[in-house]
Order: sequence, then structure tokens, then C-alpha cells
Amino acid sequence: MKALKIIIYIFSLFALASCTKVIDLKLGNNTGQLVIEGNITNTAGPQIIKLSTNVPFTNTNTYPPVTGATVNVSDQNGNAYTFTEGPSGTYSNSQLTGIPGNTYTMTVTTGGKTYTANSKMPAVVNLDSLTSKNDVIQTSDHKKLVTVYYQDPAGIVNQYRFVLYVNKVQANDIYAYNDQFNDGRYVSIDLYENTASSSVDKGIFSGDTVTVEMQCIDKPVYTYWETLMQEQTNGPGGSVTPSNPPTNITPVTLGYFSAHTTQSKTIVVK
Amino acid sequence: MAKLLILFFFSFIALSAFGQKKYTISGTIKDSATGETLIGATVRIKELPTVGTATNSYGFYSLTAPAGNYTLLFSYVGYQTVEKPVSLHADETIAMALTSSGSLTEVVISANRPNNDQITSPQMGVEKLNMTQINQVPVVLGEKDILKTITLMPGVKSAGEGNTGFYVRGGAADQNLILLDEATVYNASHLFGFFSTFNSDAIKDVSIYKGGMPAEYGGRLSSVLDVKMLDGNDKDFTVQGGLGLISSRIKVEGPIQKDKGSFMISARRTYIDAFLKASKDSTVKGSTLYFYDINAKANYHFDDNNAIYLSGYFGKDVIGLKNTFGTNWGNATGTIRYNHIFNSKLFSNTSLIFSNYNYVIQSFLSDNNFKATSKINDINLKEDLQYSLSSNHTLKFGVNILHHTIAPGDITSNSASSFNDITVQQRYGFETAAYVSDDWKASDKLTILYGLRLSGFFLFGPGSFNTYDAAGDVLSTSTYGSGQVAKSYLNLEPRLSSSYQLNDVSSIKLSYNRNTQNIHLLTNSTTSSPTDLYVMSSNNIKPEIADQVSTGWFRNFNDNIFEFSAEIYYKWLQNQIDYKDGAQLLVNEDVESQLVYGSGRAYGIELFLKKKYGRFNGWIGYTLSRTEDKFAAINNGNYFPATQDRTHDLSVVGIYQLTKRWSLSSTFIYQTGNAVTYPTGKYEVGGLTTFSYSERNGYREPSNNRLDIGATLEGKKHKKYQSSWTFSIYNVYGHRDPYSITFQNSKTVPNTTEALETSIFATPIPSVTWNFKF
Repeated sequence: MKALKIIIYIFSLFALASCTKVIDLKLGNNTGQLVIEGNITNTAGPQIIKLSTNVPFTNTNTYPPVTGATVNVSDQNGNAYTFTEGPSGTYSNSQLTGIPGNTYTMTVTTGGKTYTANSKMPAVVNLDSLTSKNDVIQTSDHKKLVTVYYQDPAGIVNQYRFVLYVNKVQANDIYAYNDQFNDGRYVSIDLYENTASSSVDKGIFSGDTVTVEMQCIDKPVYTYWETLMQEQTNGPGGSVTPSNPPTNITPVTLGYFSAHTTQSKTIVVK
Repeated sequence: MAKLLILFFFSFIALSAFGQKKYTISGTIKDSATGETLIGATVRIKELPTVGTATNSYGFYSLTAPAGNYTLLFSYVGYQTVEKPVSLHADETIAMALTSSGSLTEVVISANRPNNDQITSPQMGVEKLNMTQINQVPVVLGEKDILKTITLMPGVKSAGEGNTGFYVRGGAADQNLILLDEATVYNASHLFGFFSTFNSDAIKDVSIYKGGMPAEYGGRLSSVLDVKMLDGNDKDFTVQGGLGLISSRIKVEGPIQKDKGSFMISARRTYIDAFLKASKDSTVKGSTLYFYDINAKANYHFDDNNAIYLSGYFGKDVIGLKNTFGTNWGNATGTIRYNHIFNSKLFSNTSLIFSNYNYVIQSFLSDNNFKATSKINDINLKEDLQYSLSSNHTLKFGVNILHHTIAPGDITSNSASSFNDITVQQRYGFETAAYVSDDWKASDKLTILYGLRLSGFFLFGPGSFNTYDAAGDVLSTSTYGSGQVAKSYLNLEPRLSSSYQLNDVSSIKLSYNRNTQNIHLLTNSTTSSPTDLYVMSSNNIKPEIADQVSTGWFRNFNDNIFEFSAEIYYKWLQNQIDYKDGAQLLVNEDVESQLVYGSGRAYGIELFLKKKYGRFNGWIGYTLSRTEDKFAAINNGNYFPATQDRTHDLSVVGIYQLTKRWSLSSTFIYQTGNAVTYPTGKYEVGGLTTFSYSERNGYREPSNNRLDIGATLEGKKHKKYQSSWTFSIYNVYGHRDPYSITFQNSKTVPNTTEALETSIFATPIPSVTWNFKF
């Protein structure tokens, strides 16, 4: 909830004598675990399922691909799609275009184990428009924020994920929302770019080109992203005990399988 | 079973009711200067070393002895002991006024005779705090604070740097029963835990029970923090106050009718937002950030046997960003008490108690306008009786009935807003209890305090109640009308505390207690948050149950000037509550579907060396302990360290009266770091580097240590007024205690990750406060 972020911000003003430093910690090493990232969207073009493994915290952010796996996706009508291996652990299929309402089943066999997951693609909710305005919290550094508008359909449960790109670079933030508080309303959501934890994200300023992708996701996928989002808001004023977000893949491994709709809009910030 | 126990109980008492003709002395003990009743003052008979008692919460005592001529000894820590001869051939009423042996300006030397209460009393696991000491212990920004001082006691651990939350013997923060004049205080902190709700100007007495809980207390698993407000001076009008760096205080007290009744009003307000005004950022400049609280009390003694007390507390925190966002939260409590002394043996107190906690979060943005509120309301009727049956038996018994109304969440918005109006069903419940206990002096050496508490909990309609399966899906829904019981639980809680005196200077003690809890805090934050949500036991949530055994060795040295104790405890916890990963707790009708249930255990040893008397006094407390939780879905169902697990915890407190006007104080703490969950790897999803985790709480934050010093300068004594200066330096050597550690992409080296430690108060923080009294 945004309120929490604002509380944290005020709190950090209050903690006058606070200071931060980068420290060395002896962290455990439970790596080499399979990571499956499966996405089926309602747009044509190759659908991609990516297999990789996790690495130690102290490594660079490069993740070894998992090769030689068998990857299939089927829908509830018995249509089966075989994914073929491409570069760096990506498995793709160009025939499949997801249809809202369909349930897709992913099957991945690697290292002698078979992993399966189901995801139902929700109906499309239209991304109405984007606008930009001055950041309401920190006004002194002339930062901007981008507002997303859409009409939430009444009477059904909807979940959304937004992906923010500032000058074509993906922001290091997770934005996952549901309609618990605004079912059936014309909704506006402010997207702030968090600049605290990235060497690249500097915030949104006048003249920047901002693209927002809106995904309609099912409930298990929402829980996955929402959990990651909660863990991202760690900091002074409260934190949740972090854990691997609950996955929809069995047997349990890292990652998720998401059949979602996608739609993007781009604006130049005034 | 219950009947059998009660029969057993009364047969004990009957046995001891025979013997020679006995008479009872009773009365009230007060401070001679202010008329404040003294709690826990002792009355003993010099000629009969085993006969003695202490005043109750209202300063009342009752002592029974065989007919004869005796010398009574009245004593209280920090006061001159008074000897009074008495010829006991009928029941006597003796009201006593004791004189403080050192008003603040004088050097406190042991004018009062140190006593060996710690050896003779069966009660264990209890700490009483002396307000004079609390006022001298240095704290951050000069805001003296009873909750922070309490965490310097063994077995009581601070929830974190700059946090007033506390953990007692492995219990969670919501397992402490915090009472202010018998009213429950739900959120005992201001500003996310930096300050407690207790303004120490208004406080008379603070006790914390860590184990061997007396039967009159119940409703929480791990501790009782019993805070009593001052009654007010019934002799003279006085005004006192203080100006500090971040807050100011004022207190007015005086007689309503001399020696009959008095009042006290104490208020405090912070002005932290003054710092925000210095900011260049216009939004920050327009922000509000403050809290205030008011304590008020009045009492009137109709005659020697009838008195009425009214007390209230009101506190609020307000945070706001100009035209954007606002939140406020606060507690309000009110207590009406009526004391009646039926006769020299039977004392009664009837209380009617109100308690309220609520919060409001508001957004003023035009398209995201909303107002979210939540509240909890209690009304509690309580009857407590104390009966001095004989010189060997003091009985306490009583009943109480407590009605809870919880409104978990309510959102309202205007028509332009993106938000819907939502109201989560209110919940209604009754907590009822009946208890009886007996303080039995079984022999010269053996004292046993035993009792039983029967606690009942009833969850009422109107409302619909969902039952959830393990996955959090609704299994069934039941609807109940107004006044219909949706779910009830009955628990029997035995309590036992005993002491066996080995000799004049040492004793061993043993205690067992069972406690149950029917109101539970749900929070996914480690610090105190205004949005803390309370839920009651229900068809999904079972009462939490704790069983604790503890044993200890108590030894006094040098004529009782030094007190030493070693206590060992073991605690079993059932029906503990945690939430699922990604749980949504705010304004959620199905919040109970987000919970998982497990068990816990806590054990440890506490060593405590105290010097209560002399120019130099203070204590050293050390705790070695372990606290573990077990949940089927976490850590493969194995025990893992709880958040409140702290292996080592050391506090050293020293107070030294340097000259008549200067006193110095210092505290040092060392604590093992919190059990935390750190990443054991990283991977990429959604284009973002994400961390992977293995064991829950498998790591430790670095240990904390800190030295604080303080000095108090008393102004020259004037006839009309008095003043003093308090100086302190918090964190003298600027140690960086980790407040939080976050894992993130490096800001400096692209394509790598880093661990970032945030510390607060990481440099020495000086402060000064000016206090006055006239």
C-alpha cells in the first residue's frame, strides 16, 4: 500500500541520525536451484519460457542457462505446443497466442524431474491512458511520477501487474495490485520509480520517455508478485520476513508460470 | 476436576484456621509529604520475624497476629523506616505516613534499613521499578521512559534500537498485558516505538511479572506490566514540568479537599516537526509529526473505608504530509474505581474500565481520496477482593467481565476517488474470568502462593463467520444473530509460586503458571505500527496457551545491601499465530484465511545482581536464552529461532550520587543480534534480480552494544521553587547498531548486489532537559 511507503519516507526524515553503509556478510550458498520463468501472453510472436539457475549473492548478476530441457504447454482443449530451445536457456514457440479465458498447463522436464504449472489467462482490461505529474512526496528534486488509468470491471476479481520502462530501461520495481479496494471503479495508480536500490534508476524527469506495460494476471501469479513487492518495501519502519514467494509450479522450485494479457502505452513526460 | 481443586484449596485454609486468639491490624500507608499511597510498603512485627505483609495497589495492608505487645516496622525503599509499638488486644486501624529519606537534593545513604523481601516473598519473576531510578537512567533525546528502562531487566528484551516494544522470556510483543490503572493499553508506543505512551511524570509505580503470574492477572501469555498513575498531592498544590529537546511536559496536582481528595493532570507534547521546518523541500516543510498525551486522575476518600478514584489517559500521534496524506492513532483509557474496606480483614475494589485504540489513515489526493479507520473498544467490569483470613493466609478472589468490540477496518471515500467504500464486519466478544488465590505461610520457611483462574471467551454475533481450510479457502459459513455465541472457549489456569527459605539470606523458589490469550495481534512488521490489527479467538483461531515452569536461587549479601538471583525458566507455547507469505492483513474480511498456526518453546537463565542502597546503586542483569517456533509450513516443520530470540543479553546500570547536587548515571548494554532471514542466492525473474532464501531466521544480525551516560544537576534549593538540569549522551562511543539490513542491486558497481546496513542514532546524541517544580 502506498500509505506504507509514505510512512516509511516520513519516518526516514525523523530518524535524523540514521546512516547507511555497505557491509560484508557471510551468506550461505544454496545455489544451482532451477528457476523457471514461463510467460504466455495474448500477443502473437514467440511465447518464451526461460530456464536458469540461481547463483551466490556475491556473484555478478548473470544467471547460468539450463539447457537440454523438454518444455511443453497445452491448453484445456488439448492443444499442445512444443517449445524449442534457443539461446541462453530460452525455450520458445511461435504458434501459440494466448486466448483470455483459457487455462494453460506448462510441463518442463529437466535433470530427470518434471515440473508442471497451470495458469488461467484473465479477460483483458483496457489500459486507458497515462499521464505524468510532479512527485507528491519529494518535491524539491523536481521528480515526476506516472499515473495509469483504467476502468476496473465490477463484480469480478481482477489482478494487475505493471512494468515501468524509463527511456526503454526497465525500472527495478514491482507493481502488483488487485481490486480489493476499487472493484468496478475508474482507477488511477501512481507509479513511482524507486531510486534507492539501483545504479541505473535515477527517477523520472521531464522529457523522459516512459512506457508502461499493463498485465492482467491470475490470482496465484498476483500472490507471487505481491509477495515480492512487499519484500521490496523493506526498510525503516517495518519489514516482512522475506521468503521465496509462493510459486504455482509443482514440485516447488523458484519462478512462476503466468498466462496473462498484455498492453502497453508510452508517453513523453512533460 | 475444577471442583476437586477448589475443594482441595479450601481444605488447606480450613486446617490452618485454628489456634490462639488473634487480632488484625490494618490501615493505609502514605507518603507524608504528598499523601500518595505507597504500593508494596512492608509492615512487619519485630518480635515475630515471620509475620509480615505488604500494602496492595491502594496502599492498604492487613496483618494478623496473636494477642500481645509488639513493635511494628513500617518500611519502604527510599523512605525512613518507622517503628511503632502496639499493644494488640483488639483489631486495630493504623494509618501510617512515611517520610522520604532523601528528597532528590540530599545524598541518599541507607537511612532506611535494607530488608530481605526478595528472600521471603514467594513471588518470583517480578521486577519493580523505582521511579527515581527511571528518572536517572539516561535515554535517547532525554525522554525518560519506563518501557526502555524495563528492557534493562534480565528476561526483558528490547524489540530493537529506539523501540519501546519488548519481549519477555521469549514471548512476542503482543503477549504482554500492559495495564495503566488497570486499563489495557493496546499500543504502548508513540512514533513507531521511539517513545512509550507512559509519561513518567504521571507514574507512581511500575511492576513487571515475567513468571509465576498471580491469579488476578490474565489474558496474555508472557507478562504483565502493571503501571499505576500518581493519585495527586492531597496536601499542597504543586506545578512541575520540563523543557526538553523534542518535548515539553507539565504537571499540576493538588488537594480537592485537604487529606481527603486530590487531583493530578499531566500533559506532554513533542515538537519534532520543528526539525522538518528546516527542510528546503516544501512538502517536508508542510509536514506534521508530533504526539501528545494527557494523564489525569482524581480521588476522594469519603471516610476511612470508602474511596473513589477516577483516572484517564488520552494520547495521539499525528503524522501528515501537506495536502497529501495524514494518519493519526491513539489510545484512550478511563478507569473508575471504588475501594471499600468492609472490615480490617476484607478489602474490596470495584472497577469499571474503558479502553479504546484507533487509527485513521487519510489520503487527500483528489483521485485517490480515502479514509481508512480501525478501532478496538473495551468495557471491563471487575471486582477484586482481598481477605486476610489469618496470619498465615491471605486470600484474593474476584471476577471480571470484559467486552471487546473490534472494527477491523472501514474505508470511505468521495465519489471522485478510485476507492470503494468498504466495511469489514465488526466482531464482538466477552472475556470473562474468575479467580481465587491464597498466599499461605505454610511454615517459618515455606511460603506458597497458589491459585486458579478460570477464563472464558465468547465470540458473539451478529455476523457471518467463515471456516477456512489449510489453503485459506472457505469451507463453510455460519451466520449468527445478535447475542448468539459463535464460538466459546473455557480454560483453567493453575498458578503456583513458592519459596523455601534456606536461611536468613537465601531461598529457593519454584513456580508454575498457565496463561491463555484470546486477543491476538496480527502484524507483518517488526516495529510497532499504527496499523497493528487485533483479532479475537474464533472458529479458526484457538486461544494461545503458555505453560511456564521456573525455579530460582535468591541470595542477599552484606546485610541485604546486595541482592542476587538466578532464575531458570522453560515455557511451552501452543496455538501460536503466523501469517502466510504475501498475506494481506489490512481491511481484509478474510484475514483469518491468511494465518497459519504452530507452537513454540522458550527457555533460559537470568542472572541479576542489584545494589539498591547507598550513594552508588544499580544492577547487572544477564540472560542466556533461546526461543524457537515451529510451523508445519515453515522450515520443513522444524524448530527455527523466533524473531525475539536473543542468545545473550547483558545490561549494566550504575547511578552515583557524586555530591549533594550532582548525580551521575550510566548504562551499558550488549545483545546478540536478532534472528533474521538472509538470502542464500539470487536469480532473475521479470527482468529483476531477486533473492532466494533457505531457512527462516537462519542468520544473526551483528550484536548490539552501547554505552549511555547521564548527569543530573539539582538547582539550589529555594523556598518557592526547585529546578534541575538533566544532561545525557546516548551512544557515547557512536557504535553502529544495525537497525535493518537490506539486500539490493549495488548503486555503485553495476550488475552486482550489496548488503546495506542502516543504523539510527549511530553517533553520540547529546541532550539536555530543564525541569522545574513549584
